[in-house]
Amino acid sequence: MLKLHNLSKYFQTDEVETVALNNVNIEIAQGEFVAIMGPSGCGKSTLLNIIGMLDNPSEGQYHFMDDEVAGYSESQLAIIRKQHIGFIFQNFNLIDELTVEENIELALLYHNIPASERKQRVEKVMDKVGIAHRAKHRPGQLSGGQQQRVAVARAVVGDQAMILADEPTGNLDSAHGQEVMEMLKALNAEGTTIVMVTHSPAHADYARRTINLFDGHVVTENVRAA
Amino acid sequence: MFQHYLITAWRNIIKNGLFSGINIFGLAVGFMSCILIMLFVRDETGYDTWIKDSDRVARLHSAYTMPGRPPFLTVRSAGRMMEAIRDYASNEVESGMRLIQWGLTVQQNGEAFPEEMTMVDGSFFDVLDLPFAHGDRSSSFNKPFDLVITEKMANKYFGRTDVIGETLTLCCAAEEPTVMAITGVLKDLPQATHLNVNLLIYLQPALFANNSSVLDTWTSVNVYTYFKLKPTTTIEQLQSRINYWANNESPFVQTIANDIGAMQAGSKVTDVMQHKLMALTDLHLHARKDAGNMGDLSPMGDYKMIVMFVIVASLILLIACINFMNLATARASQRAREVGMRKVLGASRAQVAMQFLSEAVALVLISLLFSLVAVEAFLPLYNELLNRELSLQLFSDPQLLLTLLTGSIIVGIGAGLYPALFLSRFMPAHILTASKGGESRGSTTLRTALVVFQFATSIILVICTVVVYGQTLYANTIDVGYQSDNKLILNVGAANGNLQSLKQELLNLPEVSSVVFSSEAPTQDNENNRQFTLIPQSADANTSEGDAAPIQQILNYYSTDYGFFEAYKITPIAGRVFDEQYGTDKAVQQPDGDNNVGTASVILNESAVRRLGMSNPQTAIGRTLESGIFDNGMHRLHIIGVIPDIYFRSIKFDIRPSVYLLREDHFRAANISFNTNDSPALTSKIEQIWKANVPMQPIHLQFLSEMMAAQYSDDVTTAKMFSTFSLLAIIVACLGLYGLAAFTAERRTKEIGIRKVMGAQISDIVKLLIWQFSKPVLIANIIAWPIAAYAMLSWLQEFPYRLEAIWLLPICVATGLLSLLIAWATVGGNAAKVAKNKPVHALRHE
Repeated sequence: MLKLHNLSKYFQTDEVETVALNNVNIEIAQGEFVAIMGPSGCGKSTLLNIIGMLDNPSEGQYHFMDDEVAGYSESQLAIIRKQHIGFIFQNFNLIDELTVEENIELALLYHNIPASERKQRVEKVMDKVGIAHRAKHRPGQLSGGQQQRVAVARAVVGDQAMILADEPTGNLDSAHGQEVMEMLKALNAEGTTIVMVTHSPAHADYARRTINLFDGHVVTENVRAA
Repeated sequence: MFQHYLITAWRNIIKNGLFSGINIFGLAVGFMSCILIMLFVRDETGYDTWIKDSDRVARLHSAYTMPGRPPFLTVRSAGRMMEAIRDYASNEVESGMRLIQWGLTVQQNGEAFPEEMTMVDGSFFDVLDLPFAHGDRSSSFNKPFDLVITEKMANKYFGRTDVIGETLTLCCAAEEPTVMAITGVLKDLPQATHLNVNLLIYLQPALFANNSSVLDTWTSVNVYTYFKLKPTTTIEQLQSRINYWANNESPFVQTIANDIGAMQAGSKVTDVMQHKLMALTDLHLHARKDAGNMGDLSPMGDYKMIVMFVIVASLILLIACINFMNLATARASQRAREVGMRKVLGASRAQVAMQFLSEAVALVLISLLFSLVAVEAFLPLYNELLNRELSLQLFSDPQLLLTLLTGSIIVGIGAGLYPALFLSRFMPAHILTASKGGESRGSTTLRTALVVFQFATSIILVICTVVVYGQTLYANTIDVGYQSDNKLILNVGAANGNLQSLKQELLNLPEVSSVVFSSEAPTQDNENNRQFTLIPQSADANTSEGDAAPIQQILNYYSTDYGFFEAYKITPIAGRVFDEQYGTDKAVQQPDGDNNVGTASVILNESAVRRLGMSNPQTAIGRTLESGIFDNGMHRLHIIGVIPDIYFRSIKFDIRPSVYLLREDHFRAANISFNTNDSPALTSKIEQIWKANVPMQPIHLQFLSEMMAAQYSDDVTTAKMFSTFSLLAIIVACLGLYGLAAFTAERRTKEIGIRKVMGAQISDIVKLLIWQFSKPVLIANIIAWPIAAYAMLSWLQEFPYRLEAIWLLPICVATGLLSLLIAWATVGGNAAKVAKNKPVHALRHE
């Protein structure tokens, strides 16, 4: 599905150059469930952002579904992104001014899908994550677990091949965290590739493979038996 | 504590460059507009207040409102009124005075200078106590032709001001040049007076002995009448005395009843003839409504214009204040954390509010400083536009300084109060724990409403500006009905018997193609009214028109020479124009008038044909009018032609029903047609001819095109001022929108990031942001159009000939599109910048 080769990312702030990722080589196959772990500041989120094409690498190559995308422009990336990748964030990143169903619909809005079909698909996915009864509410009126379910719904409503989850359970209590993990597991079982950043070893156990990062390097890769 | 507020205020002003810049610029422009307009308004409203006892002086205006006729208004009054009212209301009136203005010539050292003479009663200085430089009021007017002049005149003719006992020779108040002794020198009058007096002559009723209609009259209005009231009397009291006198005791109670024949049972003199007092200090701004077409001693102010500009200036300041409110609340999330921390550390809400208020006031005071610099910079230009000498005397005028300081502190509190209350309301627990700022939906709605208000105001101003300009353009380019190019108008009133030789010499110039005389040239506006009677015609088989009784109408008449209509390329629509070959056209005074009836020809304009009740121009030809056009005797006037209605006067006035006569003794203007581009050479040749033919008289020579443009120069000034200030309003409003767009884009960074993660392209985001700011502009248009259209339609009502109402539609639509374009241009750059950001930056923003 994707292959990172000698990928590096630097951040330039004032006079200090910070290395966030240093010669990272990772390959992820279609249908995998990969967890990325590591201490704060090790480059997990940066890696996820680059995989998700929210950011460009400073050096190295990034093959995504047979395309070399490292040098793509922002608008080229936007097209690939909206076709193939769904996102789930630690802080949910829902738009406060939109209702639950409008937030979910957002993922279809930029895909040239007729309004009636959008409505159908949004309703279907709301049922799936059990948020249909809150369709007209705004994010501010929901609990954290409910908000994350909305975010999951938004990530999958477009039938994306890959979901990138950045500490999806970081802001949730353990019961709600569990719930979200079960949802991701079910999605993976249906064939969706999932790449997840997490601090929680228990949640990392849901993944088939765990990549450990430290100071921008991949230090270990553990593959769990199926 | 206060020092702490000041330091935080200053650091915040420095830190938020865009925010401070927009606000300081906007408020400075607002203050500058207000100060400039305030200087103008102060000048306009201060007229004549410097005259001693000005609150006790009033002038008598006259209005004749005969049924079925347009009212005749004038700020003058009849010559006998002053004495009659002064003597009748002796308990109310302390003193009265009349004034006549007359163009005369001062002859000094073999040269001639045209001057306005002011002939006044001896009581002039009792009423208007003007300050003397030399001499005093008691020594001034003791014998006929005593002359009081201003320092300016003294310097002009003698090179010094101490000139009591010197003489000036004036021509020609009487038949011969008169030598007048100077008995007093007045200090130069300030610019802020309606009086336009430089040379005051002790009024000699004898001067007008052979022209009784000047002074010895109850109805002919030639003089300006002023009264000084006793200290205990109000103008209203004297006015009611005058009304009582007019209705019951005046000599014209019976005359009016007889003459006009319109007096029905129960009606009073004051129903048709009013003598109205106006306070001296009101004259400059309010005399216009009493002045009719004849004007005043000096150019009149326009109260409506003053009100209009005060409104415009206030709107600019208001728009700037709204910018401040909008930007301050939009920025709220940036400062929410600070507010939360301050409260956690023990600040009360009042203290936090106080801090934000002092920030607002500090910002406003900085803006005031900038605006004062701007006022100084733009005053020369402004004075040139207004033809004034306004100045900002900040330090010698503590009242002005105090007004500005209080005004700006009020503005600061006004603009800062809402943001201060809004920001100080934040609850620390909520702010410090919530991931987002304390932005509520209510404040967004309020901001949108304020933006709508700003844009609606700007759009209204733009529409008004375009319409005012359009009307001015229309007035300047309207087809006046005659050929006005390549014409010079020479005033020949002083040439007396020399007209024909003057004409011959002018015609000898190769550049001159024709010279024709007339009583007035186009744009010269004199009222020459006479009663004309259309002789009844027995029913005629051909025309089927016949009237039972004679039709009487008061009509205006002009005198024109042979060739006048040809020179102006005016073709008759019926009959013919004056032609020497017929030999019967000229109107001549009959020897021993009363018993002889003279005959002559007349030409009517279309309006006169209608006014006389005739159905079309053709039927008028051959009919006869009867009128006493000379002081004695009657004339039978055969209608030989009808010309179209031409705009002899400014289009601000209706076309008058007019009669054209050929009466040589009335000729005062030579209409010279020329065919050269070297007009300076031509005018200097004409000046030489004038000097040779009419020595010792100054020449009055003007291009007709310039005379016509002068009719609308006030409107051009108004239009220029209007457009300048509307432009400022729009700039300030756009700046506010720009700032708001910047802050909104910033506030929506997270949302934009999410949308981009969801696949939105840059163009989607730009569209989103642009649409967000298009909505208020569209709503503003919907509000602004009807208001602007209503305001402008009522303004246009003032003009009898005006821009078609339908023009408002394209003007509104174009302004609407323009406002959208401006909003897009303002917001677009910002939107694109934000939309181009990598989404990861946007999401990290949290």
